[in-house]
Amino acid sequence: MLNIVACFKWVIDEAYIRKGASGALDFSAVDYKISDYDRNAIEEAARLKGLHGGSVTVLTANAPEASKGVKDALSRGADQAFFAGDPTFNQLESSQTASILGEIIRSRIPYDLIICGEGSSDQYAQQVGPRLAENLGIPCISYVQKLTIGEDGRIVAERRVEEGVEVVEAPLPVLVTVLPEINIPRIPGVKDTLMASKKPVVAIKKEDLPPVGAALLQTLGMTATRMERNCEKFAATPEGIAGFVEALQKRGLIS
Amino acid sequence: MDFKLTEEQELIRKNMREFADKYVEPIAVEIDENSRHPAEVFKKLAEGDWMGIPIPTEYGGAGSDYLTHILAIEELSRSCASTGFTVSIHVGIACMLVLLNGTEEQKQQYLLPMAKGEKLGAFVLTEPGAGTDVMAATTTAVLDGDAYVLNGTKTFTSNGPTGDTYMVFAWTDKAAGRKGLSCFIIPRGTAGMSAGTHFRKMGLRSSQTSEMVFKDCRVPKANLLGKEGAGLVMAMAGFDHGRVGIAAQSIGIVQAALDESIRYSKERIQFGNPISKNQAISWMIADMATELSAARFLTYHAAWLKDQKLNFSKEAAMAKLFASEAAMRHTIKAVQIHGGYGYCKGAKVERLMRDAKITEIYEGTSEAQRMVISGNVLR
Amino acid sequence: MAGILVIAERKDLAWELLNIGRQLASQVATTLTAAVTGQEDNAQNHIARGADEVLLMSTLPEGQAFDAWIPVIAAEAKKADPDMILLAATARGKDFAARLAAHLGTGLCSNCIALSRGEDGTVVMERLAYGGAAVQQVSCVTRPVMATIPTRTFAPAPADHSRSGEIRKLSLPSPSPVRIVARKVKERSSQDITEAKVVVCVGRGMEKEEDIHIARQLADLVRGEIGCTRPISEELHWLPDDLCIGLSGVQVKPDLYIGLGVSGQIQHVTGIRGARVICAVNKDENAPIFQAADLGIVGDLYDVTPKLIEELQKATRR
Repeated sequence: MLNIVACFKWVIDEAYIRKGASGALDFSAVDYKISDYDRNAIEEAARLKGLHGGSVTVLTANAPEASKGVKDALSRGADQAFFAGDPTFNQLESSQTASILGEIIRSRIPYDLIICGEGSSDQYAQQVGPRLAENLGIPCISYVQKLTIGEDGRIVAERRVEEGVEVVEAPLPVLVTVLPEINIPRIPGVKDTLMASKKPVVAIKKEDLPPVGAALLQTLGMTATRMERNCEKFAATPEGIAGFVEALQKRGLIS
Repeated sequence: MDFKLTEEQELIRKNMREFADKYVEPIAVEIDENSRHPAEVFKKLAEGDWMGIPIPTEYGGAGSDYLTHILAIEELSRSCASTGFTVSIHVGIACMLVLLNGTEEQKQQYLLPMAKGEKLGAFVLTEPGAGTDVMAATTTAVLDGDAYVLNGTKTFTSNGPTGDTYMVFAWTDKAAGRKGLSCFIIPRGTAGMSAGTHFRKMGLRSSQTSEMVFKDCRVPKANLLGKEGAGLVMAMAGFDHGRVGIAAQSIGIVQAALDESIRYSKERIQFGNPISKNQAISWMIADMATELSAARFLTYHAAWLKDQKLNFSKEAAMAKLFASEAAMRHTIKAVQIHGGYGYCKGAKVERLMRDAKITEIYEGTSEAQRMVISGNVLR
Repeated sequence: MAGILVIAERKDLAWELLNIGRQLASQVATTLTAAVTGQEDNAQNHIARGADEVLLMSTLPEGQAFDAWIPVIAAEAKKADPDMILLAATARGKDFAARLAAHLGTGLCSNCIALSRGEDGTVVMERLAYGGAAVQQVSCVTRPVMATIPTRTFAPAPADHSRSGEIRKLSLPSPSPVRIVARKVKERSSQDITEAKVVVCVGRGMEKEEDIHIARQLADLVRGEIGCTRPISEELHWLPDDLCIGLSGVQVKPDLYIGLGVSGQIQHVTGIRGARVICAVNKDENAPIFQAADLGIVGDLYDVTPKLIEELQKATRR
């Protein structure tokens, strides 16, 4: 029986971000989603629960609007949610998120295993998981692509590093951050979503928590990336392809 | 007044969007080209409880409301109008007919597997000589001991070749006129009932449509749906539900046409500028977006009325009429915006335009909708 | 003590960090310290490449991983109070940096692609956000300023063997409860694509696994390496993960990139931004890849690629 906590962030779906005329980002028509790799985290928690029994708790610190995200998370196989919702939790920096999540877990949620996505789809700072582990004083195994729990209750994780894979073993409790390769997150069915609304959500107010420190990183500016190159298009005709090869030659790319 | 969907509805819509992007959009061109029923997609739809959203859980459904079902149809149709329609007629007409009129036994035996998506429903009413004029039908059902014997030929039966559970309308008493038509639940494989090969259609090609032939087809009395002679009333109520689904399908088509038109017009450069900078194009897109919103409000309103257990017959007809005509108007515009590219196979707008046409025809033509609406307002 | 500390698990990473570290240290005339794994005979090399002081992290007992050093480095950093700490944005580097930042109670700019010192001395760091759609500028309000820097952002620092410096061996950390039980060095089907001059990338337009030979044939002809988009490696497993190009995969900087059936999702395009010339073959004229490309052929890769190979053969024979 495992008590698993999966942390998630409710983020702007970057597919809806438009580029304003002046290079500023236009967020006027955005939609939100559970951060991509956090879906893998929740899925992995649900998968392990299916194998070993126990419970899955999903946890987020977000703006109050993330209540929809809490339902979304609950529709993915979780049993209950802890939701710290506050307007000031909208643009938290990694260190702040980790300290809020750490406080909630320490004081309110029994755990054997904490799973986070390797990074969020918006900031992709890849810090909350490792910082949270340090915060709780438990081992951290990041960039995990495969997770198993042995008979002896020890966790075996394949973590991906530059030159290959490191298979590591650790006693529980432990925090892991997962890569998207670890599983394919489900698309919740209609009943999953309807049942999610009936699952318990523990709402945590900002006042119930110790004061949140200031952001350690300040965002000075955010501008749309310039990617445009002036694409010269050629048709898939013999002339087109010959023209394309000539263009490569002109640029000194083939000899 | 509240225009906001619930969080659950928004999530379910989002999940269907993801489902359609992942499983339907990639095969939409192929199933259109080959007129193929994507059984693999329907298996997945069943797994996600998409085949019986508004049906109570005790009858195998998801136990949600009609508006949620409508949102799913809209999103599914945005990727493939055929797939959206197949779900729509299955839920909106076949399942709803049994839910509203069936006995407990009929619900357990026929509705439950349909709502679970294990069986596909079909609606068998139209005949070669009886389209909008339902009363001109000739198929008969004659009581013979403990069974009715059906004879006649139906046509344009959606899900005809692929269906499992058929809602078949036949005269039990032709002389009784409007009170002489009855409806029977006939499972696939019943002796005397056969489906023809599916028609080669202009659009909506992966939806399977065929003739249905009944030759001394014996149907147990227990399979009579509702009372003898109640068929016409049930069929009309079935249409009310189905039409909201067709309106949703039409909205999905317009949304796809709008998405494609926005994308293309911003990228297509002519005379040194994206064509979206031309007023001729941008105004087409403005109209498209406006009528899409109007169609959406009509449709959601009709579904909302249904969920409030209020009369929605007129609103269903209005939604269906406006949304389907908007789909036709704007897919034509979308092809125009795409120019020659839009006229070629493989362009999504080309398929959208072919698919749009049927929405003005089936489950009551635009003319039939106007009859319903005028009948209501001139009463 | 102030100064700049670079921390690296490999010497090549240390040298890249020493390059930018030296530039920043020179601007404000401060010292540059390198904490690097390895033996004493290597330490002199780090001094040659810019370090004033080398903290040697000697070989750990079998089964211990690099992150076992975190408490030791944290203690060193608390003592030395550096202005800035830099690590490579490798898996180990990023994990180490975030946990070290937590120990030190300071901010960390992950995947920092540029950093400069403003007139008031503030270090302004740039990174990508929203899947690469945006560039975010950040500064850190606490000390030390920390950043992880993607590999190959800076060239290795040049060696100057006349330089001198201190070398100090750190005492071994207490063992971590996380133990390495096996290592699988990945089988590389080809050389490291991050180093390749030409990359031919396989996208979702490729219909079957066996068709990858078409891309390989093209790559062979232009003496390039094969890469792929995320669905090809992650969902279909047609190619190994280390060939997956994109924000969360590898970033490539070839002279020539050719995408075959690559649609051009922002996360992928971010990984090829450093390419000198980007070419794309896609049958969808509106595929976003064409916005990111310099040259494009609108057509089915199955039709175009063989013809392209033929034409390239003709051109190179000439």
